[in-house]
Amino acid sequence: MATATTAAYSPADAKSRASHRPWFFTRPVAKTGLVSWLTTVDHKKIGLLYGITALFFFLVGGIEALLIRVQLAVPNNTFISHQFYNELFTMHATTMIFLAVMPLSAAFFNYMMPLQIGARDVAFPRLNGFAFWVFIAGAIVLNVGWFTAAGAPDVGWFGYAPLTSNAYSQQFAGDVSTDLWIMGLQILGVSSVIGSLNFIVTIINMRAPGLTMMRLPVFTWMTLFTAFLIILSFPAITIALVELMMDRSFGTGFFEVAKGGMPILWQHLFWIFGHPEVYILILPAMGIVSEILPTFSRKPLFGYPIVVFSGAVIGFLGFGVWSHHMFTTGMGTMATAAFSLATMAIAVPTGVKIFNWVGTLWGGHIMTRTPMMFALGFIWMFMMGGFSGVMHSAAPADAQQQDSYFVVAHFHYVLIGGSIFALLAGIHFWFPLIFGRIVSEFWGKLSFWVIFVGFNVTFFPMHFLGLNGMPRRTAVYDGNMGWNSANLVATIGAFILAIGIGIYFAVMIYTYFKGKKAAGDVWDARTLEWSVPTTPPPEHNFHVTPTVHARDAFWYEKTHAKEIAAEKAKTAAETESHGGIHMPSQSWFPLVTAVGMLIGGLFFAHHYFPGAIAGGVILLIGVLGWAFEGPGGYHLHIHKDGSVTGGEGQDESAH
Amino acid sequence: MRFSLVPTLRRATTLLAVALIPLFTAGWLSGPQSTFDVKGPVAKSQLDVFYVTVWVTMAIFVVVAAVLAYATIKFKARKTDDEHAPVPPQGHGNPLVELGLIAASIAALVIIAVPTLKAIWYTYDVPEEQRANAYEVTARGLQWWFQFEYPSEQIDGSGQLITGNELVIPAGRPVRINLRTSDVIHSFWVPKLGGKVDMIPNRGNHMWLQADEPGYFWGQCAEYCGESHAVMRFRVIALAEDDFAAWVENQKKSARTVQPSASPKAEFASYDMTRKPRNAPGYTADFDADPMAAWVNFQFPDKDENADLVAKGRALFKEKNCITCHSVRGHEGVGVNAPDLTHFGSRTTVAAGLLENSKENLHRWLMYPNDVKPGNKMWVGVNGMAGYIDIDPATKRPTGTRHIELNDTESRALVEYLHSLK
Amino acid sequence: MSAHAGTIDHHHDHTTTTGIPNKKLFMWAFLASDCMFFGALISTHVIYRLHPTPDGADPLKIFSLELTSFSTFILLMSSLLMALAVGACQKGKVEATRKMILGTIFFGLIFLGCQVYEFTHFVHLGLTLNSDMFGATFYTLTGTHGVHVAIGVLWLVFMYIRTFKPADVSKAWVGRACLQFAAFAVATVTIMIIMLAVTHVGNEQGYTLAAIGAGLQHSLISCIAFVASCATLIALGRSSWAVDFGEANAVDVEGMGLYWHFVDIVWIVIFTVVYLLEYL
Repeated sequence: MATATTAAYSPADAKSRASHRPWFFTRPVAKTGLVSWLTTVDHKKIGLLYGITALFFFLVGGIEALLIRVQLAVPNNTFISHQFYNELFTMHATTMIFLAVMPLSAAFFNYMMPLQIGARDVAFPRLNGFAFWVFIAGAIVLNVGWFTAAGAPDVGWFGYAPLTSNAYSQQFAGDVSTDLWIMGLQILGVSSVIGSLNFIVTIINMRAPGLTMMRLPVFTWMTLFTAFLIILSFPAITIALVELMMDRSFGTGFFEVAKGGMPILWQHLFWIFGHPEVYILILPAMGIVSEILPTFSRKPLFGYPIVVFSGAVIGFLGFGVWSHHMFTTGMGTMATAAFSLATMAIAVPTGVKIFNWVGTLWGGHIMTRTPMMFALGFIWMFMMGGFSGVMHSAAPADAQQQDSYFVVAHFHYVLIGGSIFALLAGIHFWFPLIFGRIVSEFWGKLSFWVIFVGFNVTFFPMHFLGLNGMPRRTAVYDGNMGWNSANLVATIGAFILAIGIGIYFAVMIYTYFKGKKAAGDVWDARTLEWSVPTTPPPEHNFHVTPTVHARDAFWYEKTHAKEIAAEKAKTAAETESHGGIHMPSQSWFPLVTAVGMLIGGLFFAHHYFPGAIAGGVILLIGVLGWAFEGPGGYHLHIHKDGSVTGGEGQDESAH
Repeated sequence: MRFSLVPTLRRATTLLAVALIPLFTAGWLSGPQSTFDVKGPVAKSQLDVFYVTVWVTMAIFVVVAAVLAYATIKFKARKTDDEHAPVPPQGHGNPLVELGLIAASIAALVIIAVPTLKAIWYTYDVPEEQRANAYEVTARGLQWWFQFEYPSEQIDGSGQLITGNELVIPAGRPVRINLRTSDVIHSFWVPKLGGKVDMIPNRGNHMWLQADEPGYFWGQCAEYCGESHAVMRFRVIALAEDDFAAWVENQKKSARTVQPSASPKAEFASYDMTRKPRNAPGYTADFDADPMAAWVNFQFPDKDENADLVAKGRALFKEKNCITCHSVRGHEGVGVNAPDLTHFGSRTTVAAGLLENSKENLHRWLMYPNDVKPGNKMWVGVNGMAGYIDIDPATKRPTGTRHIELNDTESRALVEYLHSLK
Repeated sequence: MSAHAGTIDHHHDHTTTTGIPNKKLFMWAFLASDCMFFGALISTHVIYRLHPTPDGADPLKIFSLELTSFSTFILLMSSLLMALAVGACQKGKVEATRKMILGTIFFGLIFLGCQVYEFTHFVHLGLTLNSDMFGATFYTLTGTHGVHVAIGVLWLVFMYIRTFKPADVSKAWVGRACLQFAAFAVATVTIMIIMLAVTHVGNEQGYTLAAIGAGLQHSLISCIAFVASCATLIALGRSSWAVDFGEANAVDVEGMGLYWHFVDIVWIVIFTVVYLLEYL
């Protein structure tokens, strides 16, 4: 066994090391069962974990939304109390943004991005697992309030100071709920930033040979932009939350007027994060749609460089428009004008994307399969949301729309009609790849149409409600305001939407167990993730690391089958001569570290500091174990007949 | 399977859309807080900008939607040749088309930007030439009601004129409103007169409005401000110059005192005193039909006023400690934590623009304030002053004991007293 | 384990697309994120300096520019040592790497000690976290930076202990590593206690020899513990066996170095904005 590689590792070491490792550092080897999921470093398994958790919270957020709609169905309703309503809308938004859409995007980043760039895993596989477990910790901290006397957080998802201060939050119950909200968001921020750093390194550094940046699939580009947005915008909310936590726990006055604090500062810090966050939610969706449209039009994306560039411009300008969330805070004429114009400017790159998607359809061979239906629905709905967005950018008009149901309509068009439609399209699109089964076209399309109709019936009337003077976040309204019928229609629509989502999920679950089997490249797709040897993909993704010769790399492979086959045989031999396919080892420590963070966070939020320190100690133990167990790794060997040998802790002398 | 679901659904969608149109016309844009039914120059300017954005985006929408729909239909694969058709030309795009579209988008945005900029400056403050004519008031947001202060109306020995929850302004004159808050962020919004501006702690915001004609307007807090944000409302009444002067004159007076009559009235008109559901409506069609006329009626003493009951109510107002938070100028009330009630009887609403100021509603508010506005300060106390119930300062939970108990008879007297404060 | 074929090119990693090692790229991306983090904190401080509370403390009466300049200088020098450590590690010189890391730890601790002294002194003068807005922003900003330095020191300590990892995996070293860590912890805590005791006495009686002696006497147990832990560190500071640490670990040391330099640069900004600008 030659140690020609630079990796400080060889299979022989694995054997001797494994036998001498203390139990503390024993690497888990299970590939199925609970332990395999708890200790996994496989980006595909982590992606699935993200996806399933996100869909669970998507349903939780949906139920919260339905309760809200039931309360608003008729005027002067007494279905739920004001307090509970306030908790519901706070948690609906927080859940949908941080626990549903972001992790569902992260699920696709995790699962698809390494496949799209021809990598075997992300750059730091254990860190990837850690990001997921920290996400779970944050989700638990945010939602634990439902089960305590304090109740769930009730300060609104942007928690405007000084409503979050000790004096005003939850005045009639012990107010841990706001502390839990702060801690939950803080922990979720850690998860997002760590995950994103990992994606950035992976995309820049782990691309297959020949995969230059301008050959990257658009979804991977959008992953990269989203990751950059996350690492650059989350620090602002982290600091805002730290300052708020200092106010609540240690008596400082960052946002407390009595101590000279300026509550407006919270808004600036929050929206410097909050506006890029909007693009964090929509850019992955744009990426998914930019994959689906070319596949089902059977032609390349129209104007690829411009689509990529406009994504970059959106991300960049996204940092310069935060104050358009604050047009009514009396910023003065110059600031208002500047942010108004900057916001209009951002409509240009967004419009460019829509033009290019239409251009992609033009002259194509459009197959209206279910993923394509959702993608087309996305374009229509996102366009409408974009237009109401332009209406907001005109600050004087926004003075009437701000904090009204018009805004509610706008961001639901962008976030459901945009993000969710694209994510649902993505699930349909990649379902055959992930599970090896294909969703029934009839039921898929049925779910699309019910969702599409339900969505529009719910949210279109809200434009009128807002223009008719109904403010958002109102638990009850009077029957003489002219809002009755529109609200009732919206509630009916919400239930149609719920039925649609129900059908969607039922079909997915049915297909997972009983659906038609589908092998390989079912859609005649264009990007590398479809070039995997089996569906679902094997743990090592590709038998042979692909070499990329063009944009739409898999399409090129399919049209140049002969050359590619020869090239692959050569690469395979080369890999084998270097010791086979290197795979990362599983580890317990990401989970241990995240559990420490969960315990510490929960105790800290309850101001029980010994418990918080105990959590910190567990966290430290996790980090140390992580550092000292080393990255590990093992090798796999692919044989001519396609069989795979080798694995963690296995005797490789047979090779 | 020949059942053609998709066209059926499409037809259903079209039908639904057609069915919705009458609904739009039947009042979806004509409520008391409609931003389309503008009654002043600020709201008008904002609506004009809105229309520009609507027409420009509609025009773009029509073009893009037409192209998108055409492309989807024209290039749709037929069922038979789905996978087997020859691959279309693998074109990568056309830079000239892209540049043209970018230029067109920028042009469209310039059409929106120009009126936007004009309106930003116009709506920000009272125009220079009208500044001398502008009337100044201060609106202060509190959880969950509004206080209105008139710096130009000074009362000897008591400072500026202060009212609560109903802002009376002169019509046909610009009104500059200083926006302040005593606790969290609120937002001042009278849709028919103008868009909202926030009341932010440690920040002196302002806005201006003008009601072109006398009128009665609905307003509401538009920034989430805690438990009862939804029921933090107010009204704006614009009066002709003379009426306004008369109103100010009356408001500056001390509270009206009713002398007990020599021969006590036997009975007075009774009203429904049963406890209603939590969010039961407090409005009536009669009032809404002509709110201005209703407002005028409120300026005069009730015809069936029971002077003895008023006197009893005044005593109870002191006895039940209402005076520690409420101010009734000239009477016993001296508090500053709650709305000034000196001329409470002349207001059309109670509980911050929420309920019409009928005896029935006022009784409900006095007896069961937490039904009407959960968490309100009269119920739980404020700034160290006790409310109806006792709150444990440590756990912030009700202890179960009550500071203030009212029965129907007492409430009836208090109602009579408060209504006598014209 | 240092039996690597050929020399290692520290500026190019053939296993990555760009040739930049993953860990290094990760650290750069993290530092970009951290820039925004400190950016937000420094902005908060500046905004509240521009909108001070009326009865707030006067920084000029509190700051001691001499002390802070000294600690700034020390931190800059620690960056130099850190760079030397990276260089030594890239050349595979384990012994030199250890010395430079120890030096960096030492200088980092002096900086932290100055900050601890400064904080206790300021609290003594009445500036606390909740005394006024200046206290809140000052302690939050410099404290957050201090936490960054402390994490850096902890990282350096772990890296130092890591250099003793035996190449022979059968050789147990966990106990030894724990002892080394404990010695570091004890030395750090005790020297802080001693320093505070000495300055406490010194501030009251003037810094005469007798006063310093009295201060040492007050913290006698700490003094003994400090000497003992230092002796332990010296005793454990050599390895007679082949270690699993060398050129291959240069990228780890370099990543740590990037972090350390970044924290220094942030301090330069903080020193300028929080301290020097007050004297304008």
